[in-house]
Parts: sequence; structure tokens; C-alpha cells
Amino acid sequence: MCDTAKIELILKNLDEINEKLDKIIENNNHNHNHNNNDISEKEDDHGHTLDVMTLLTLPEHLRTTATALFELGTATADSVAEITKKERAVESNYLNQLVRMGHVKKQRLGRKVYFLVDDK
Amino acid sequence: MSRTIAIHSSKGGTGKTSLALNLAGSYVSSGKKVCLMDMDSKGPSLHSFFNVTPNNYFNEYLRGAISIHETLTNIDLDRSGQKGELYVAFSDPEIGAIREFSTMDRKWQTKILKRLINAKKDLEGLGIDIIILDTSPGVEFGSVNAVAVSDFVLVTVKPNKICIQSIEQVINGIYRMLGKECAIIENMCPESKDHYCSLSNTNLEVPILESILCRCDISTLVCKEIITLQRPEHPYSKSVFRIRDKLDSHLNLD
Ligand SMILES: Nc1ncnc2c1ncn2[C@@H]1O[C@H](COP(=O)(O)OP(=O)(O)OP(=O)(O)O)[C@@H](O)[C@H]1O
Ligand SMILES: [Mg+2]
Repeated sequence: MCDTAKIELILKNLDEINEKLDKIIENNNHNHNHNNNDISEKEDDHGHTLDVMTLLTLPEHLRTTATALFELGTATADSVAEITKKERAVESNYLNQLVRMGHVKKQRLGRKVYFLVDDK
Repeated sequence: MSRTIAIHSSKGGTGKTSLALNLAGSYVSSGKKVCLMDMDSKGPSLHSFFNVTPNNYFNEYLRGAISIHETLTNIDLDRSGQKGELYVAFSDPEIGAIREFSTMDRKWQTKILKRLINAKKDLEGLGIDIIILDTSPGVEFGSVNAVAVSDFVLVTVKPNKICIQSIEQVINGIYRMLGKECAIIENMCPESKDHYCSLSNTNLEVPILESILCRCDISTLVCKEIITLQRPEHPYSKSVFRIRDKLDSHLNLD
């Protein structure tokens, strides 16, 4: 096998691993929400908004993630990670945390998972 | 790449609008395409400085009804042969519009923030070099949204105890939290340094770009003209040009 083919195979495998990680995190979150009444991750008084004042109350790591998502509009964990210069898996985790808090919406489109700031 | 400067202050009447107008003028005179936006939808003021009726107010863009270029009014500066251009996005001064925008909920504010981010991208696409945001004083949605979309915050302060005490809060509680670079403009300073409490005596780790003197003729001239364009030799203009030049190095424009 030539080098480019190898690299492509590795990338494809990485992609699949990423997707599986996403699903694991998603399932985890489901269980987590069912079994655990973790108040800190429940929506606060403001309900499902991520306005600028709410942004200011988020811990720094989530604020950075949310700010990047605002800039991007609709984005995958990959593209958020590119802006924040953190690991994709880390960003995926933060984004899912923001989803649980009710600030961010998650959409699956084909094989990819997209996030966007909820304003509906 | 275009750059966005928000002009903000923790207290009212510190000279934001005057500086916004004249900083815009200073960039026009250096050949830039400038867009001045009235982000003070609760207390709009830019309309009173220009003798024009805009086709659309900026409010319509924020409502999602029109695109950003439809809100821009090209100001005829009567300066033949000069390259710079000035566009203004006016905020609707009608009391009905002010009431409407003062009572919008948080969901709406989230939408506004998204639209402001898009507006910035669109303005860059239209070839605008510098976007100047005139904001309302204090901590409220309109001004904090403006800060959030800016690349740099200029904070105007009057050299008195009340202004100076409240400035630390906005620097640490808003600008820093949003990761913004900022600098202070001391405005309306008495002639003699002995008689006022200058910010240079505090230990805020923020540069003071300029100390502008308090002069009665400034308030008269501000209402009539863009001083930096009409009277480049005036001390106020010279102060504003110095601010522009210092900003250029902060914004990597030179
Ligand atoms: N250096 C100065 N010397 C004297 N008068 C000044 C100076 N700078 C601004 N002014 C005057 O002070 C008044 C307030 O200025 P301006 O409207 O620009 O403040 P502002 O911060 O925009 O106010 P607001 O918070 O209400 O929006 C105006 O009448 C203006 O002409
Ligand atoms: Mg003003």
C-alpha cells in the first residue's frame, strides 16, 4: 500500500473512532441525566438561552467553547477545536455539556454531528 | 481584514459619541472605508449629527428583516479627491422603537449577538476597513453585545472618582471575561494635572492612550461638524489622531 492510501485509511479510522466517541458521550449523558440529579449541569433560571450575560457567567473553558461556536454559527467539534486549539474530544465534551445545560443544540447530519447556539 | 472598535464607558456622558464620530473622521482622512454604527438603541444619537434620512434603520437588520448593506447611509463628506468613505448605520430614534428594543428578552439578545457577528463578516465582505461601534453606557445587553463582537474596546473615562471606581469593574468583569484588548481614553481633563484624579495614579493594567482636555469649544464644534475632518489642526483632532495612530499598532494595521 502506498503512503497516501495508508494515511487515508488512518484518517478514515480516526473519523470512525471520533464518531463512536461521540455516541459513547451521548449515551453517557443520557444515563447521567437519568441517574444523577446534578444540579450544576441543569439549566439555570435563564432557561435555554446563551445570551452575552449568560456567557459571562460560564466557567472559562465553556465560555471559550461557546464563543467559538458563536463565531462559527453551526459547527462540528472539529472546527470548534481548531479555533480553541484544544483536543477534539475535549471540545466534544464541552459542547455536549453546553447541550445538557440547554444553551446549545445538537444535530446529526449524515455521519457528522453539528452544534449551534440555541436561539429558538 | 476589517477591524471593529467598540467605544464604551461605565458611566454616561463621557464623550463616547463625540469620540466615535471623530475617530471615524480620522480614519476617513487616512483613506479608510469606515462604518460607524449606533449600537445605543436605547438612546440613539448619531442621527442628530447628520442631516440625512436613512433608507432603513439598523433596527431592521437586528430584527432580521433586511441585510446589513441596506442599513448603511453613505455620508457625503464633500471632500473631493479623498479616498476615505464614511457609512453610518443609524439607530431608530422613534420612541416606539426605543421602547421595543429596551424590553427584548434574552432569546432575542442571543439572536442579536448572532446577527452582529454576521454583520461584521458581511461588512468585511463589502470592503469596510474599520467598524466603529458607539455604545450605551454601563452594563446592558446592547453595549455588552457590542463589546463581545469587537476586536478592541476603547473605554472613555472622566477623571473623577466615580468614573474611575466603576471602570475597574467593566474591565475585569466584562472586557477581560470576553477576552478583549482594551485601552482607556481620559476625556474632559482639566488643563492642570494637579486638579484632577488621573487614572495614571491607579494600578489598572490597561494603557491610557490619551488624555483629552476639557474645552467648551469642543462641545460646540462636535454638534456642527466632524472636527477631525474640518479642523485637523484643532487640539481635539490632534488627540484623536494620536488615538488612531496608537490603535493602529494595537490592531496591527500599520
Ligand atoms: N473633551 C471635551 N471637552 C468638552 N466637552 C466635551 C468633550 N468631549 C465631549 N464633550 C461634550 O460632552 C457631552 C457628552 O458627550 P457625548 O455625547 O459624546 O458623551 P457620551 O458618552 O456619548 O454620552 P452618553 O453616555 O449619553 O451616550 C457633549 O455635549 C459633548 O459635546
Ligand atoms: Mg453617546
